[in-house]
Amino acid sequence: MAEELVIALAVVFVTAGVLSLIANQFGLSPIPFYIIAGLIAGRFVTEAEIVVLAQWGIAFLVFAFAIRIDFGDVETVLRDAEVAAVTQLIVVAPIAFGVGYLFGDLFGFADPVRNAVYFGAAVVLSSSLVGGVLLGTEIRQNLVHGRLASSIHFFDDLVAIALLLVLSTEVVTADAIAAQIGYGVVLVVVGLGIYRHGFPLLVRLADGDSELVLVGSISILIAFLAAAEYVGLSIVVGAFAAGVAIRSDGTQALEVQNGISSITDFFTAIFFVTVGALVAFPSLEVLAIAGALSALVLFVNPLVHLLSFVYEGYDARTAFLAGSSLNQVSEFALIIAIQALLMGTIADPMFDAIILAAAVTMVLTFLARRTEDVVYETVVARLFRGQHTRKVDERSSVDELSEHVVVVGYGRIGRRIVETLEEHDTPYVVVENDPVLWTELDAECRNYVLGDALAAYTWEKARVGDARLVCSTVDHRPVSEMVLDLETDADVMLRSSSAEDASELLDAGATHVAVPDVLAGEQLIATVEDLAAGETEPDELERAQRDYFRTLERYGFATRDERV
Amino acid sequence: MSEIALAADFAIIVVVATVIGLIARQTGQPTIIAYILTGILLGPVAFDIVTDEGLVELMADLGFAFLLFLLGLKMRFDDIREILPAVTNVAFGQTVLQTALAFLVAWALGFGTVEILVIALATVFGATPIIVKILTDKDEITSLPGKIDVGVLIVQDIYLVIVLALFATDELGGAADIASTLGIILLMMSFIGIFSLLSSRYILPGLFRRIADNKDVFLIVAIAWAFLFVAIAEGADLDPKVGAFLAGISIAQLPYSKELEDRITPITDFFILVFFATIGLQIDGLSSLLAYWWQAIVASIVLMVGNFWIMFYLIDREGFGVETSFLGSLNMVQVSEFSLIVGALAIEQGYIGSDVLGYLSLMALLTMSVSTYLIAYNHAIYERLEPWFSRFDADDKKDADVSTYDGHAIAIGYDEITEQALALLEDHYSEVVVIDRQTDHIEELESEGRYEFVFGDFRHTEVRKEANLKGAAFVLSSSVEREVNEALLAEVADDATVFVEAERIGDARALYDRGATYVIMTSHLAAEKLSEYVELYVTDRNAFDDAVVRDVERVRGRHRRSADRLEARSTRIDPASTGDSDADGTSGGESDG
Repeated sequence: MAEELVIALAVVFVTAGVLSLIANQFGLSPIPFYIIAGLIAGRFVTEAEIVVLAQWGIAFLVFAFAIRIDFGDVETVLRDAEVAAVTQLIVVAPIAFGVGYLFGDLFGFADPVRNAVYFGAAVVLSSSLVGGVLLGTEIRQNLVHGRLASSIHFFDDLVAIALLLVLSTEVVTADAIAAQIGYGVVLVVVGLGIYRHGFPLLVRLADGDSELVLVGSISILIAFLAAAEYVGLSIVVGAFAAGVAIRSDGTQALEVQNGISSITDFFTAIFFVTVGALVAFPSLEVLAIAGALSALVLFVNPLVHLLSFVYEGYDARTAFLAGSSLNQVSEFALIIAIQALLMGTIADPMFDAIILAAAVTMVLTFLARRTEDVVYETVVARLFRGQHTRKVDERSSVDELSEHVVVVGYGRIGRRIVETLEEHDTPYVVVENDPVLWTELDAECRNYVLGDALAAYTWEKARVGDARLVCSTVDHRPVSEMVLDLETDADVMLRSSSAEDASELLDAGATHVAVPDVLAGEQLIATVEDLAAGETEPDELERAQRDYFRTLERYGFATRDERV
Repeated sequence: MSEIALAADFAIIVVVATVIGLIARQTGQPTIIAYILTGILLGPVAFDIVTDEGLVELMADLGFAFLLFLLGLKMRFDDIREILPAVTNVAFGQTVLQTALAFLVAWALGFGTVEILVIALATVFGATPIIVKILTDKDEITSLPGKIDVGVLIVQDIYLVIVLALFATDELGGAADIASTLGIILLMMSFIGIFSLLSSRYILPGLFRRIADNKDVFLIVAIAWAFLFVAIAEGADLDPKVGAFLAGISIAQLPYSKELEDRITPITDFFILVFFATIGLQIDGLSSLLAYWWQAIVASIVLMVGNFWIMFYLIDREGFGVETSFLGSLNMVQVSEFSLIVGALAIEQGYIGSDVLGYLSLMALLTMSVSTYLIAYNHAIYERLEPWFSRFDADDKKDADVSTYDGHAIAIGYDEITEQALALLEDHYSEVVVIDRQTDHIEELESEGRYEFVFGDFRHTEVRKEANLKGAAFVLSSSVEREVNEALLAEVADDATVFVEAERIGDARALYDRGATYVIMTSHLAAEKLSEYVELYVTDRNAFDDAVVRDVERVRGRHRRSADRLEARSTRIDPASTGDSDADGTSGGESDG
């Protein structure tokens, strides 16, 4: 009777709603709170249909993920962080597997190897949903560690899908895996084919009715899911292939994206709550496993990441911040766990432990964020100081300078300023922390320091004591404050995104603070007034702008990878 | 792993419905017909592949509930209050007169006494989902005829609950029994209604202001709110859909409702599709459907024409204009799928046989199909018949006019860039409308009271419609996202002036190609300015100092102004609200980089 189902769903959503209010109040991601909602409301949500709906949640999650992938981005993303990602796989995975196997042996699980794999997956993979929320601001501000962390997330998600593909056989033999991979590849290829031809056909037939395009997209998902089930693959692979098939450009793209995003949110809330609901009351075994899992995720993972990022050439701070935003269990691990539960290949304590550890680490990761800086200053910075100094020395080139200009950040604005300084033959030093730009710095700048702008030695190396002007093009409050605190008589020009912050920085002693939006606003007003007064025509404006673009391009300001 | 797609009935329904829907679209038919047809094809009448149980039933129920939730979201108290007396009269009159007409027709066609009673009771209802869906899609649901129809439908729904309750009781005892059941039902409904009203005034504004910035939490909490009402209604044995409607109304009063509408609509669309299919699924089989086929056709024609005139007379009598009366009546001529529900209940109680149910079903099918076309083309039909109907026109008719903006200026995103431009735009254009996704910006605008505002993400159609993007003369977008700006340029009028922002030169070029008047390249601009300043610094120190002083003045001026506004606002209520939400700082119209 649908009534009971409706009541069950009502329980799911009301608890999820209440708990997400709490999450929002503390600025945390709602996802762990959905899991907690499930833990609380578990007893009332037992219908088999709800579990089916939860699986649709899995399908939609992966579907939405795959739609968002831009294959052009894959290369750039992976390039950023391949060493760290692979190192983690090579180093942490065996450790995790070993620990998992120990537990399996200790507690007498039926298939300790398989359970160890699940344990290992939960340790190694980090969460892009929760991590993405965590890093929202950083990614927007284009900070290096934000970029690094999201690269790792993306890499982990792809690994997770491959893992799900392999794990969807009940008995793992070489033949079975080969067959799985074969089917999986076929599905993805079909998906690509639909991307090319099928989807545009759908849009054409729908003739402007975005509801039909939305329903059509979901039908494609259903078709792929059915195909995956028919050949015995995990629905995740089907959903992934379906997501590949959907185009995210075109006139209806925004509406379809919005539609899929709303429906996904609906089902994924059900998924996370159901996952929590499936957890029984934790026994000592469960707590032990969960504890070990959490410890590995919270401490070993970030450590390995930190070391590998530093090895790749990033400064310690960036490495630490990136690593510490990767310390939560991925929602893909939850999907692996629930798939295993439904296939009957995972021991109950292991399942419960993974879910618990996921909820715990997702919440703790947000709380850890608050203490990040403190931990960095007290622990990490000390440990890495010597190494940092050496690195900075190795990768900088600074002549005897005085009365020079220090330019912080070699993005769009930094490069423009450097150009101007070169035109006027003024000595300068560029301070930048992104090792990807090292070759450019070496080729284009007379003097540069490749180091962390928040570390004292970097400034020492840049001889800021003798500088006449420090010009920071980085929109990051800690950097601005660091610059103001330097021991120097130099004038200080900073950058900020809000007039309020700019005012405070001016009060603290900055000579000038550039607020790009305010600057743009003035030009905007001037242009609108000119247009209204008839002093210029839209054609003229466009022509002038296009000329300007050509000039900029000549100076090399229009590359795809350009940092803003 | 359980088979969620291969074995799922609703999955089959969705896929088949899409295919038929696409065919329908290509042949110019309304998609609702396609969905009902899907149900007929897949159900007992034709192939009998799926049933309407389990998840299918759940989704159908959810679809209907969400539809009414959405409907509630669009209703403002003020809108309803104006026409409430008129609507109550019309609903009352319509129920009485239509029941009488149905009674007469059934009697004339030779049915038995009990059958006549059941038929009369069952066929009085209008098909809420069809009317609401089509009118919403055509964006006429908040027009005057739309509102009248919605009002009548809601009253009918309440009446339906009573009828169902009466049918469901195992023994219809004396009048006292009926009266007490009725009393309880009405009491519970008023409770829920009052709860909705009170929460709208006291609980919800504060609650939603806190979460409106975080779009995921916002959606889930709104859904939870709807489910809460549904569960309460379900638990009190009332119609859960009316509960959902009341939940929607309570949120409708907040400025965040437009944004919510856009997020709920896709979910609704998905589920309501299943609902329409279940209409077809509920029909028992071909034989019972055709048992009284010619009677059904005759009855359908008579009832459609009769219902139209009854409604027309009633609405016209309340003093509304001819067009309103015409459109309002035309929308309501069908027999609702409720007749199937009432019929099914009546069979359970042994009042009628399955042939009569087949007769009811056929009537419902016929009238629903025809009226789908009628509603879809209602304006065209009115224009055709207008000369004939003008005899009913009188000078003292009252018709409210829906006011929209026109020839106005729109600013997308309320930030440093747009703020400066607003005063200037005010001088040149009749009105200035600001679209923004952040609650504190909207509150600033509200307290300032100078500009109109719409809370929401520009990506969403409802938000664009509310601001009447098509009628704007000037649009300023501070979003750097290419797809948003391209959508903007595609929808705006050809002669409108459009200023957009971009971060990359490639994007800027594309935007110019699509018709942008001017593309602001904020960070390039900043780069220019800063390098100018640095140049001045090394060449002409005095000029540098002057330029800097000017800039500093501007920045401080901006900050002072916003600080004043902040202060003015904080002297109002709610000291507990925080302004910091860095967990999810995404926004729809803000510049990045």
